[in-house]
Amino acid sequence: MKLTWRIWILLIVLVLSLISIFVTPNFMKSGILISSVVSNSSAFEQGLKQGQIITGVDGIKIKTLDDFSNSISERFTSGESEKVIFQTSDGEIIYFSETAPEIIVAAIPKTKIKTGLDLSGGSRALIKAENIDLTSDQVRTLIDVISNRLNVYGISDMKILPVRDLSGNNFMSIEIAGATPSDLEELISKQGKFEAKIGNETVFVGGDKDITSVSRNPPEAIIERCDQSGDGYFCNFRFAIYLSEDAAKRHAKITGKLEVNSTPSGSYLSMPLELYLDDNLVDTLLISEGLKGRVTTQIAISGSGTGATQIEAYEAAEENMKKLQTVLITGSLPYKLEIVKLDTISPILGKDFIRSIFIAGLAALLAVSIVVFVRYRKVKASFFLVLTSISEVIIILGIASLINWNLDLPSIAGIIATIGMGIDSQIIVIDEAKHNKEISIKERMKRAMAIIMGAYFTALVALLPLLWAGAGLLKGFAITTIIGITVGVLITRPAFVDIVKKIED
Amino acid sequence: MEEENKSSFGKFHDKNYKLLLLIPITLFVLSLIFIGIFYSNNGDFLNKDISLTGGTTITIYEEVDTNALVSELSGKLEDLSTRTIYDIVSREQKALIIETTSDGETTKKAVEDYLGHELTSENSSFEFTGSTLSESFYKQLIIAILAAFIFMAIVVFIIFRTIVPSTAVIISAFADIIMTLAVVDLLGMKLSSAGIVAFLMLIGYSVDTDILLTTRMLKRHKGSVNERLFGAFKTGTTMTLTSLLAIVFALMIISSFSFILQQIFIILAIGLFFDLLNTWITNASILKWYVEAKK
Repeated sequence: MKLTWRIWILLIVLVLSLISIFVTPNFMKSGILISSVVSNSSAFEQGLKQGQIITGVDGIKIKTLDDFSNSISERFTSGESEKVIFQTSDGEIIYFSETAPEIIVAAIPKTKIKTGLDLSGGSRALIKAENIDLTSDQVRTLIDVISNRLNVYGISDMKILPVRDLSGNNFMSIEIAGATPSDLEELISKQGKFEAKIGNETVFVGGDKDITSVSRNPPEAIIERCDQSGDGYFCNFRFAIYLSEDAAKRHAKITGKLEVNSTPSGSYLSMPLELYLDDNLVDTLLISEGLKGRVTTQIAISGSGTGATQIEAYEAAEENMKKLQTVLITGSLPYKLEIVKLDTISPILGKDFIRSIFIAGLAALLAVSIVVFVRYRKVKASFFLVLTSISEVIIILGIASLINWNLDLPSIAGIIATIGMGIDSQIIVIDEAKHNKEISIKERMKRAMAIIMGAYFTALVALLPLLWAGAGLLKGFAITTIIGITVGVLITRPAFVDIVKKIED
Repeated sequence: MEEENKSSFGKFHDKNYKLLLLIPITLFVLSLIFIGIFYSNNGDFLNKDISLTGGTTITIYEEVDTNALVSELSGKLEDLSTRTIYDIVSREQKALIIETTSDGETTKKAVEDYLGHELTSENSSFEFTGSTLSESFYKQLIIAILAAFIFMAIVVFIIFRTIVPSTAVIISAFADIIMTLAVVDLLGMKLSSAGIVAFLMLIGYSVDTDILLTTRMLKRHKGSVNERLFGAFKTGTTMTLTSLLAIVFALMIISSFSFILQQIFIILAIGLFFDLLNTWITNASILKWYVEAKK
């Protein structure tokens, strides 16, 4: 059977789509993928990077996630420094630390199809400024500050975008894949205005103007001690920061005016250094007599964390330290923010879900092919109808992988809508082919295409408003449907028409 | 035999097709009245769920005694409701969904206090939408539907370039939406944003068969009016029935899993049912009347 150019185009696009879906940069490689590395962690500093593939640990081959956790689980339990050699796609990396590497690993993805947060898990937030309407420039500034803050905090796998809705509101949309940090809300919505004050005078504020650097690793940043208090525990943390010249001089000037009080535990200045975060007092530090009037650039910052058990208190202190370090480094946000939408989706159900969508799709296609066969009694045409629908899905997925579109639930609803409309069109083709045999098959197919184009344009224009409505949350539906029906009229339908022509001839 | 049946049905149809219009007109008027009463009682055309009113949804992936949880928390959380997700095969409780119009922090704290442990992304999903956002979201979706409908109407006019047939297509699409909305209200369904999108899908699906019918009736000249009408009817009902069947099959599998897809499919199924009525009585009768009058 000689194939027409329309069928060739379908076949070529189909092959290209399959390549787009399945040929990933790590095609056919074995190992596991590092999906994120906590920035500034020892793993990061020693060369482990996001996107690397770990193929072995200490010479033992790693093929699955289980292999990896088995090889690491018994290490780093003693609290003493250990050496591990990772065989990676970038060569051997020697890791030496007291703690296990702070990396998140995943199986190497077999396809380039990316699923949205509502399927694969993760968090999504829509944020706007409290009480004022931000211009798009202001939103962009805000995005810079927030991206920096999340990066400093150690989140790298994220997407922050300005979003504008139909009524002209500007939002900032944040998407973070995978596990959600428990204090995401604070990180993205708290202004993080840090002030160190003595009395009413501000000595320094968060951000790189006053603070040149912040220590984040021991021995300059540590959890000092844990104690029982009431029915819980609390742990103190302490880390060093370095002030700029200006801030240090300010500190000297203000402390120079203070008197010295002698107490049994030592001599301190008459007023303490008070640390405020978003106008709440977080800690009060006594200033030792030796610092009076001195231009000092190194200052120790402290705070605490509490919990029901000692471990919880320790972890809370670590978290609080990290948060404080983050705002000290990144400074305060220019606006007070309000979270207008916050979704954190667990990855637990995702896999099952994708499987049931597949089953549902197959069941639906089976039902359709049975109806078409019973109605038209044409084995070949019914078979090609199902085949065409499947190829349509493959092409949509291929284009989605090509443009890096994340398939979320609305996108899947869109694919289903597309298949439905596609099958309707194909039924029109089969029907026109079966009847009016006195006219040439060419003419009959032209008629079918006329109806199909009419239906296409009405569906297309009906979808356009959805691209902008609702802060883009339903954009996935509009995008996949538009891709699908356009692929339909341009590629799959003309090919199906030619196939039916062949069958009729 | 078949030919005879057809022609006797043709005679019946010739005699009564205008009268048949009374069926959709009655249903349409009843739907409008029902929606009107619904509006005056509820202040809106439809029941909105959390995604459109604002509030919090928490999904807990563990077995929880639903009744105990509701009685414990209903005092603390506003408009509390729950849904359970079961495994398709084993019918085991897989997850519990808690919905309330209270804000995120309050809800999370209340549920954590009840369960006695923290909610993390390992054991739960959490969705919060602020009420101002959802209000504007709802407004925009309604605008999107109206705009979609108007755009669709313009394209239909461009395709057929005649007033009566184009209007017939638009009326039948409008009737689909109104009747479906009435049934959705009658069933007490709470619409999510996805549910509203289903109405948008309905516009696309319902116009398909109307375009087929109108093209066959107006742009083809072979055969009698009835032959063309019945030919289109056969094709069109096959289209709608396959869509309906596919939806019902998909619904059976997906329903215990995704509330969003379930709602889309239910609305589409109701809509396609009414589309059969509106395409093959409303649109067909108006069109036949028009063609007969032109003779």
